[in-house]
This record gives sequence, structure tokens and C-alpha cells, in this order.
Amino acid sequence: MKNSLLIAIREWKERVGSRSFLLFSVLGPMVVLALIYMLFVFGGESKQHWNVLIADPTGILKDRVLNDDDQNISYSFADNYIKSEEFRDAKKFQGFDAMLEINEQILYTKVSHVFYRQKPSAQMEKSVQYHIERRLEEVMVDRFADFSIQEYLKIKQPLNLGFRDVYDPEGQKSDLEGWVGFFYGIIIFVFVFLFGMTILRSVSREKSNRIVEVLLASVSPNQLMLGKIIGIGLSALVQFLIWAVIIGAGLFLMRETLFPDMLNAANLNVQDLGIEAANQSYGEQYFSAREYNQFVELVYNRVRFSVILPFFLLFFIGGYFFYGALFASVGATMGSESDGQQFVLPIIIMLILALYSGYYVLNYPESPMAGFLQYLPFTSPVVVMVKLAQGYEHGYEIYVSLLILFISAFAMLAVASRLYKNGILQFGHRVRIKHIFKWLRKT
Amino acid sequence: MLEVRNISKSFYRAEALHDVSLTVNKGEIFGLLGPNGAGKTTLIRVINRIVEPDHGSVRFDGDLMTDADLGRIGYLPEERGLYRNMTVEGHAIFLGRLRGLSKKDVKTKIDYWFDRFNINDWRKKRIEELSKGMAQKVQFICTVLHEPKLLILDEPFSGFDPLNVELIKQELIQMRAAGKTVILSTHNMKSVEEICDRVALIHEARKVAEDKISNLQAERKMGLYAVRFRGNMIAFVNALWTGFEVVDKDILSEDRFVVRVKMRGESSFEDLLKVLIGEVQIEAAWEVMPSMQDVFIDIVQPVAK
Repeated sequence: MKNSLLIAIREWKERVGSRSFLLFSVLGPMVVLALIYMLFVFGGESKQHWNVLIADPTGILKDRVLNDDDQNISYSFADNYIKSEEFRDAKKFQGFDAMLEINEQILYTKVSHVFYRQKPSAQMEKSVQYHIERRLEEVMVDRFADFSIQEYLKIKQPLNLGFRDVYDPEGQKSDLEGWVGFFYGIIIFVFVFLFGMTILRSVSREKSNRIVEVLLASVSPNQLMLGKIIGIGLSALVQFLIWAVIIGAGLFLMRETLFPDMLNAANLNVQDLGIEAANQSYGEQYFSAREYNQFVELVYNRVRFSVILPFFLLFFIGGYFFYGALFASVGATMGSESDGQQFVLPIIIMLILALYSGYYVLNYPESPMAGFLQYLPFTSPVVVMVKLAQGYEHGYEIYVSLLILFISAFAMLAVASRLYKNGILQFGHRVRIKHIFKWLRKT
Repeated sequence: MLEVRNISKSFYRAEALHDVSLTVNKGEIFGLLGPNGAGKTTLIRVINRIVEPDHGSVRFDGDLMTDADLGRIGYLPEERGLYRNMTVEGHAIFLGRLRGLSKKDVKTKIDYWFDRFNINDWRKKRIEELSKGMAQKVQFICTVLHEPKLLILDEPFSGFDPLNVELIKQELIQMRAAGKTVILSTHNMKSVEEICDRVALIHEARKVAEDKISNLQAERKMGLYAVRFRGNMIAFVNALWTGFEVVDKDILSEDRFVVRVKMRGESSFEDLLKVLIGEVQIEAAWEVMPSMQDVFIDIVQPVAK
């Protein structure tokens, strides 16, 4: 064990001392923070400002569309008909981003066009449609009905059919939280893949520069492999901790300085909520103010880090050893660095399938397949993360899954050490399946 | 010191070693010779417990060898490498610790060996900055750092310039004087003659000879004698008459030669000297022993046929 420790320390120092490690440790979380920041800031609002000219020769909407409805859109009126070519070319219209045609038939045909110079964002389109549609409804109620606009809005209110889980009527196991679990699963597999490849490269480099024979005169192949996996794993853990600290500190700073009011329910944008409620037909299609705050609240309040993080760490370690042993054995059986790349493909396919199974469980958490996938050591790290985030932390299943993962990781280490022992001193050969079977049979 | 008993090893259907036995005595430099692919490296790997034999055993100091004995062996493989991005000192510390030295001891030994090989300036250099010869020196130091009782060197002179070859040879001779045992696998027959006490010759997976160098040479001597003299070459040849045959000659100067002579019939070395005295001025005369190169070829070729 002492020798494995020495090997592990050397591997750890080599990784942690490298520039790429430092770069990935600092830049990685910065990029994640920047993405989170952008989701917070731009997720719910558009920075685009639009000058819209409403060509309304019959005065249908005159004095009804107001500029203070939306700070991002300014409406101006023209009381004559304007051709699209004229709007496009005339100097006096160059200050407008778009022109909206309102003709006398609109109340009957419900057809109109917006001619734009630059394609607007989806949200901008929705906003313009919302403003115009609401005002037209007012006009129509005035002209064709004998009830008030308030009564009309009550009638128009769509049916809000809420599908609820009878076991979770409050909807605590929400999809959003499941996605957070899936994100954790992705992190596990990204780290497993990156550091698994590091193991593979390290083993094959030791083979190609022949230091391995010097080492094998002092340590057994098993000690060498274990030391390598542990050392590189520790560097992965250090990197992950750096990520956690930087992202954690970043989120804390954002909460304290940039978004303090968003966490306060009193600061919800009531007007926007009203708009959404009044127009559910498209309200769910873009980030509304409510969803925007839900995302912030999700990150800060609803993700139960204290439950998820300990299991994350355990599944991270189990998954890393399981896949790390696979990568090490591939590295040991390779004749040359390029020759063995083909044998990495099955591992990559396994990793992708594991991610897909996480996505599957996200959608069908109660299915029998989900139950099976959470015990399978190839997939359990991501599947359990999703289930944990969905609120399934009670019960024996997670502990059984963890036990199976660790037993499988030990079994995989035993198999890998056989391949490692028999393959590590073979140089310059082409890897064949029959070699692998022979090495597996040899003690 | 080291007894190799009836070692056999096959890799799938290819036999790498067949019933090889040999004994290496304490305090000797033992040469392990043989053509490429004969099985020398496999035997060395078996001794170092890197490869497990199919049959046979290795004894170290009288007992069956265990992993614990590896700390008393220093092994320099033929195809040796270093971690290119580590510093010279870091590398030496890592390998020294791996071979059982404490942190404190490893530093003391490094100071001693770096001084001895005059490489103190390289301590903080990365291995990738070193020339091949410099790296070889570092590899040698890493092999002897833990002061092993048995040193196993596979082609230790390859890549070294003549000065460094001499340096390593002198180190090995000093180690022998200090009671250490060295197993040397090399194709450099001149070095074998110079420093090895005994050799074993492996050919086609079998041991075909094991003896002292002088015995192996004596077994293959062909009755050749050399005479270095000053005088006339014609007078030398005329003096030989029918009892001797000139094999070849080296001309040292106009009137100075070394001539190799083969005895005919019952003629002896004494007879040769008697007929020459008075005819030429004899400076030296000796029996010509076959070189290890000749011994090697002599042993290997008939088997190959």
C-alpha cells in the first residue's frame, strides 16, 4: 500500500502541477458561473428595444396602444396606408424597426403583418402580439358585445388543467430539480471521462517511454495501477472541490450583490404575472418573470445540497473507480498510444448510454426500467443523482445501488489488474480481442 | 548469493527459457551473454519478479526469493525510461522512496551520488532538458541509490560515450570491491573481458555455458603464441623452420613487429623462444587467448548450425 501511495502522490503532483490543470480549475467554473449569470440576467428579459410604427388608416387602435405597456417597445402611429417597399426605403421611416399593418378587415379576418428590418427575438414577437391582440379584443368587445372587457377576460380564461401526482400532490418532485440531479450526473461523467482518459494516457505513456519496467522492479502491477487510479482520482477530486468553492462563492456573491431582490417574493413583477395569467396560450413558451425567479429560487433554495452532495461524492468515487479501472486496462493492453483508441469507443458508448438513462429516468422516474437502471453500475451514478434530486432519498434503494456500484468497482479493478499485469510489458503489438481473453485467463 | 534453478518460461507457444539454472556468487561481476532474443531479458525479469516463471525457482541468499528481496536489488532495464516532466532530483527521490529509502536517507544518498557523478547543477533540471547520456547517468544513479546488494544491469553501456563507459566500469569494479554482486547483460564483449569474473551464455532459451572467463578462453585456445621483437622479419621467418607456422603479423615500425605463431607437431613455446634467441631481439612473448568475441561466436555458431 505504501508503494501505491507513493505512485499516487507522484501522479497527483504531476496533474496538479500542470498548467492545464490550473487552467481547467479556474476557467471551468468561471465559464459555468458566466452561464448561470447569463441565465439569471437574460433568461427573463430581452435587452432589445424596438421602435414599431403602426399603420392604422382607419384608426382602430388609435389611443389604445400605449408606450408605457412595455419599456422595450415604443409604438408610433401613422394614419395612412404605407406600402412595405415604402417603409423599407423611405428616409423618414428609417428610425423604425418594424411596421405593423392594421386594416379595416382585421376585426373579421384576424390577419395582419409586421414588417421588420432585423428579425426580432421570440419574446419580442410575443410581446408585440400580446399588446396588439389585447387591444383588438377590447375593440371587438366594444363593437360586437354587450358585456365589459373584464367579463370577456373571465370568459376567455383558458382551462388550467393541472396534472398532479397523487403521491406528490404538492409537486415537490419537480422536473426542474430532476434536471439539477441530471446536471450532477453529467458532472460525474464528464470528470470520469476526462480523468479516465488521463489514466489511459498516463499508462500508455509509461509503456511507451519504458519507465514501467523500472517501476515494476519495485512495485507490483496491481500496486502501480491502483496508485495511478487513486492519484489521478485525487487530482480530479481536488479539481472538483476547486470548482465547488469557486461556483459556490460566485453564487453567494451573486445573491448578495447582483440579485438580492429576486429572492424576495414581494419583489415579483406583479404586472408581468398578470400578463402571463391573462394570456396563458403563450405564457409558458418563454421565461416569464415568475419562471425567472423560480430558476433563481431553484438554485438558492430548492436544491437540497446537504442531501445530494454526500451521495454525489460517494457515487463520484464509485463511478470513477469503476470506469477508471476500465480505462487503465485499455491503456495497459494498448500496443501503441494510437492503436488502442478504438478500444476507448465502447467505454464512451457506455458513458453516453449512462447519460441517456439519466434523461430517461428524468422523464419516467417510476418506470420499472428506472428501477433497473439505478442498480446497474454503468448507469447508477447519473440515475441515482436524478432520483435523489427528484426527492427519492428515502428507502434502501440508493444504499443498495451504492453497494452494487462499489462491489462492481472492486470486481472491475480485479479484472483490470489481470489485464494490466499481462499487458503492461507487451509493446508495439496490435491489440486483438484474443489477446485480451488470453490475458484475462492468465493469472 | 543468487541461485536460479531450472527456470522455464513460455509465452503462449514460444519458449523463452528452457530449464535454465545458474549461480551468481557474492562479490562477483557476472556476465549474462547471448544473442538477441536468446532469453536474457526474460531471465532478468524472472529474477526481478516482473515475470513469473512456469517452472523453477530463484533463491536469494539461500532462501526462496520474495517481494521483500526486491528492495535489495537494483535493476537497470535495457529499455529504460524516465518521467520526462519531472526534475532530476524529484525523479531520484521518487525511485529511491519506491525502493524503500526513508525521506532523510534518500536525500543523503542523492547528495553523495550527485557529487560523485558531478551532476549537482542538474538537480532542478527537467528530464526532458537532458541529453541521452545525461539521462543515462541519472538512470544509473537511481538504480544504485538504495545501495542494493545485487545490481542487475541490462546493456548499461548503450548510449554512453567512452568516458562515461569508463566511469560506469570503474563504479562497478568499486562495488565489487565493496562486496556487492553485479549481473551484467551486454553485447560489449570488451567490457565483459575487462570486468566480468564469470559469465553464462544463453542461446535459444537454453544456457549453453557458465564458467570463469579464463576457463572459457582456455578451453578454446588454439596453440597460438605472439612474439613482439625488434629486428628483421625475414630473419624471424627463417629461424622458425618447420616446427612453427606464422599466422599473421602487425608491423609496429620498420624493424619492430608482433607476429602470431602456431605450433606444429610437438613444438612448444620454449622451442619457439630457443630458435628465435640470437636471430631477433625479443621484447615480449605470450600465449594468445581467444577473445570473448571469439568464444561467443564459437559457442553460438555451432548451435545455430
